[in-house]
Amino acid sequence: MELAKVLSQVELFDGLTPSELEQIARICQERSYRSGEVVAQQGATGDELFVIWEGLVEIVHSGSPQDPEPRTMVNLGQGQVFGEMALVDFGPRSATVRVVSDTARLQAIRRDDFLSVCEEHHRVGFVVMRNIAADLSFKLRHQNLMGR
Amino acid sequence: MAPIFKVSYVVAGGGHPGAIVNEDQKPVVGERVQLGKDEFEVVEVVDLIPARGDFSFLHVTVRPLKN
Repeated sequence: MELAKVLSQVELFDGLTPSELEQIARICQERSYRSGEVVAQQGATGDELFVIWEGLVEIVHSGSPQDPEPRTMVNLGQGQVFGEMALVDFGPRSATVRVVSDTARLQAIRRDDFLSVCEEHHRVGFVVMRNIAADLSFKLRHQNLMGR
Repeated sequence: MAPIFKVSYVVAGGGHPGAIVNEDQKPVVGERVQLGKDEFEVVEVVDLIPARGDFSFLHVTVRPLKN
């Protein structure tokens, strides 16, 4: 399937026009991984956001004094994004991301490339940043439900 | 565009982190779902927040199936 069409099915890009989706598709880089491979390491510098095209990854957090053991916070599958915090706060990776399906296909978007698109097309920046906020909110709701 | 169901899967009883996945069909109670290498049965489906555009946002409780 054409990449822009795939991106239209990702909540992060909901509300973008076909031509705006084409702008995003042009800055995507496809990556393939096998089960067990680490895509992002907690504490490392990160400047990419990832969109899961196929497969399942686990988000593992470790190292708080109250909870020193590594703990899988959530699994993310098709259509989900991770690494978005690096786009927003420029901080280190907040968790380790590891592939748990046999294989995974991801689309990586570099922060500088994304910000360039936003500078040129302000509406894209507004829509995607709004959707990042909505996605973070959904992840928080998931965590709240896990704690019931 | 066809509707997209963004699903928060929560595993009953804890011990499993659950998953967030986009589905092209709304999960139904009694259905089996595969999350990674594990298989589960759907026991509850509720709207988590109001739908927006083509996206519906669901909370689905599942229970592990013993292989």
